[in-house]
Amino acid sequence: MPDNQSHILDQNAGFGETEPPIKVAARDVCVAYDGKQALNHVSIDIPDRSVTAFIGPSGCGKSTFLRCLNRMNDTIEGARVTGSLKIDGAEVNDKSIDPVVLRASVGMVFQKPNPFPKSIYDNVAYGPRIHGLALSRNDLDGIVESSLKKAGLWEEVADRLNDPGTSLSGGQQQRLVIARAIAINPEVILMDEPCSALDPIATAKIEELIDELRENYCIIIVTHSMQQAARVSQRTAFFHMGTLVEFGRTEDIFTNPRDPRTQDYITGRFG
Amino acid sequence: MSVIAIVALMVIVMLAGGFYVGRARAIGAVNGNTVRLHSLPNYHGYYVAIWTGLPAFLLLAAYGIFGGQAVERLTFSELQREASALNARLEERLLSDAEYEEFRGAALQLRERVNAIGDDMQRLRSARGEERDPARLEQLQQEQREALNSATAAEEAAIGRRAELVAAVGSEAEAAGASMRQLAGFELVQAPREQRQLFLSDAMQIANGALSSRESAELNAAARIVARYQDRIRYFVAVLALVFAAGGLLRTRSQVIPDFRARNHVERLITGLLLLSSVLAILTTVGIVFSLLFESIRFFSTVPVSEFLFGLQWSPQIALRADQVGQSGAFGAVPLFAGTALITLIAMAVAVPIGLLSAIYLSEYAGPRFRATAKPVLEILAGIPTVVYGFFALLTVGPAIRGLFTWLGFDDVVTQSALSAGLVMGVMIIPFISSLSDDVINSVPQTLRDGSYAMGATRSETITRVVMPAALPGIVGAILLAVSRAVGETMIVVMAAGQGANLTANPLESVTTITVQIVMLLTGDQEFDSPKTLSAFALGLVLFVITLIMNVIALRVVQRYREKYD
Ligand SMILES: Nc1ncnc2c1ncn2[C@@H]1O[C@H](COP(=O)(O)OP(=O)(O)O)[C@@H](O)[C@H]1O
Ligand SMILES: [Mg+2]
Repeated sequence: MPDNQSHILDQNAGFGETEPPIKVAARDVCVAYDGKQALNHVSIDIPDRSVTAFIGPSGCGKSTFLRCLNRMNDTIEGARVTGSLKIDGAEVNDKSIDPVVLRASVGMVFQKPNPFPKSIYDNVAYGPRIHGLALSRNDLDGIVESSLKKAGLWEEVADRLNDPGTSLSGGQQQRLVIARAIAINPEVILMDEPCSALDPIATAKIEELIDELRENYCIIIVTHSMQQAARVSQRTAFFHMGTLVEFGRTEDIFTNPRDPRTQDYITGRFG
Repeated sequence: MSVIAIVALMVIVMLAGGFYVGRARAIGAVNGNTVRLHSLPNYHGYYVAIWTGLPAFLLLAAYGIFGGQAVERLTFSELQREASALNARLEERLLSDAEYEEFRGAALQLRERVNAIGDDMQRLRSARGEERDPARLEQLQQEQREALNSATAAEEAAIGRRAELVAAVGSEAEAAGASMRQLAGFELVQAPREQRQLFLSDAMQIANGALSSRESAELNAAARIVARYQDRIRYFVAVLALVFAAGGLLRTRSQVIPDFRARNHVERLITGLLLLSSVLAILTTVGIVFSLLFESIRFFSTVPVSEFLFGLQWSPQIALRADQVGQSGAFGAVPLFAGTALITLIAMAVAVPIGLLSAIYLSEYAGPRFRATAKPVLEILAGIPTVVYGFFALLTVGPAIRGLFTWLGFDDVVTQSALSAGLVMGVMIIPFISSLSDDVINSVPQTLRDGSYAMGATRSETITRVVMPAALPGIVGAILLAVSRAVGETMIVVMAAGQGANLTANPLESVTTITVQIVMLLTGDQEFDSPKTLSAFALGLVLFVITLIMNVIALRVVQRYREKYD
């Protein structure tokens, strides 16, 4: 095996005493689709209350790894996940873990904004409703309002909560989806290329939002933009052909990559 | 083989030749260096071929459509010319015939009297106060009726006398050695209008060697004229088609030079052809709608629209008195609308839940292998001819329903009921709904499902709260299309629902629908302008309007849905 142990955070010395606790710990996670290996022995420690960026060429397994974290691979026929993956020390792949409960604490935002065919209000209230989080209509109103505020969308939609979610612009839709995800108080938020369908201004807003959310959540973001990874993340992991090549503090990865493949990728020589 | 078929074959051969000539010439013009051509060599070939074949075939098609009519017209005018001498003789005889003149004069006078009385009555009706005199009005009415009867009698006598004179002139002419053609023309011209058509079509039949309904020396003479014109037109068209083909070939062949934009020309011709086809399809539809409309208007001139749309009594069969136009039965279509609605409702009550649930199962739960077998099987159901469903309803479901309800203590349950027709129609429509809904559900983007699962929703929560709302417009569209199918379905209802035009909401009684009544009204021997027959057109118009509205709404709804998720 390549030196996959080196991706475990405690080997990255020099973070100092502000070091946040480990939220997600993966050991030898492998994923195969219909017997075809997509992810090879990934081991990584992801800290809480910070943003971790996954970068790498298309098809290298970034989304696949994200889907392991909320067991969305269960919904894909023929996907087989092995290895150990712990969130707060609890084994995610354990048979006793109900994916429904797991997904309530691991939110996900997708590449293409996917608001449900409902009103803005109902989109945000979707999670609280199915998980029974609100005891009264007032509660629910409160959750919707605070989630929209956290997602920085409240000002723009407060007077049209009953309009369909699809009537918003692309950037607003993506923030709506983020509000929907944080309405059920997740601990981890997974974002799979959340800005790739947005214009630069909407992207800047989302990045700002991610930076604010960092204080309360463990955020993992997949991105194809080096600048974005550099702007929003504290740590960066570089994936290549199903393996995790390098993981460390973002400024280290971008200024002083250890692996030549990382060097090639961030300087744009391939990918 | 007929001349026309030979010419068509020749044109095809010339067309194929034209293709090769055009192609070869294009290649030859650049000495094989085809890159220098503006268009590929094949386009030059197509161009020459099209101009060789198209005009000739259009001419042949026009001959096919209008040839018969042209022959008929020409024959008629020739026979008319032949008959002019005899006609003149007849006119003389009519003028000098005292009996005929007397009848005619009497008829004219009586007609005038009828009109005069009519004016009087009109004045009386619009009068006010003392002037108003119902007794006088009644008397006038009586007088008018008598005058009308006498007028009709006089007219008939005049017509009879005239017929006698026609026969006399005819036989005199024959005795005096007039030609058969003259006699044929005379017979044709003097015949009443509807018989003229018959005479001509008989002549055409004889000319074509087919059996005709009658035969006479006059007809044979006319048939010879028909045959002569047929031959003339046929050879004229044949020669002209060949000239067109050859001319087109020669003219376009000389156009083939390297810079000739053959591709653009061919594209334009193809566009024109496609446009023509769609225009033809649209025109056909418009034509059908207009014929429905005109016949309906004729019907509504005898039966008022309000009576038709709101009347509660439907019995077109009972003719109260043979001579009373517009009085043959009752034409209130409400029982038919109600019967159609009842059966459609029952069918939808069966088809919508089952079809929808099976679509949900197929698209969201079933494994790929089950889906791969179940979907085609469901679609086979849609391919069963409705008459098969019809006798299934009549022979199996109907008796079963009667048995069940008799056992439950109902009496007089009939075999042919709205329920059995509705149930079986529902089964027929299931695959329609399930297949369309399955497509709609499948086209809900996977990202929506993923979004819901990622929120921790279960599969059934995802389906009911996200997938169904997203698919709803499409499903509504599918249901509306299914409703318009149910409304238009005929065979099952003819066989299984009985024919009683009962106005009832009881599904155990027999009812009848719009479509069934159209079948009943138009099958068997019918006179084509009785209100009974014309009412079928009005029903057809109603049916057309209903299904049109339904389809428009369905398409609108589906379209809105498409705009949202592409
Ligand atoms: N649902 C799936 N079924 C089969 N193969 C898949 C599926 N999703 C991803 N893969 C394969 O797994 C590999 C990694 O894909 P992915 O994780 O989507 O890459 P990335 O997100 O880094 O672009 C690719 O080779 C892809 O073809
Ligand atoms: Mg991806």
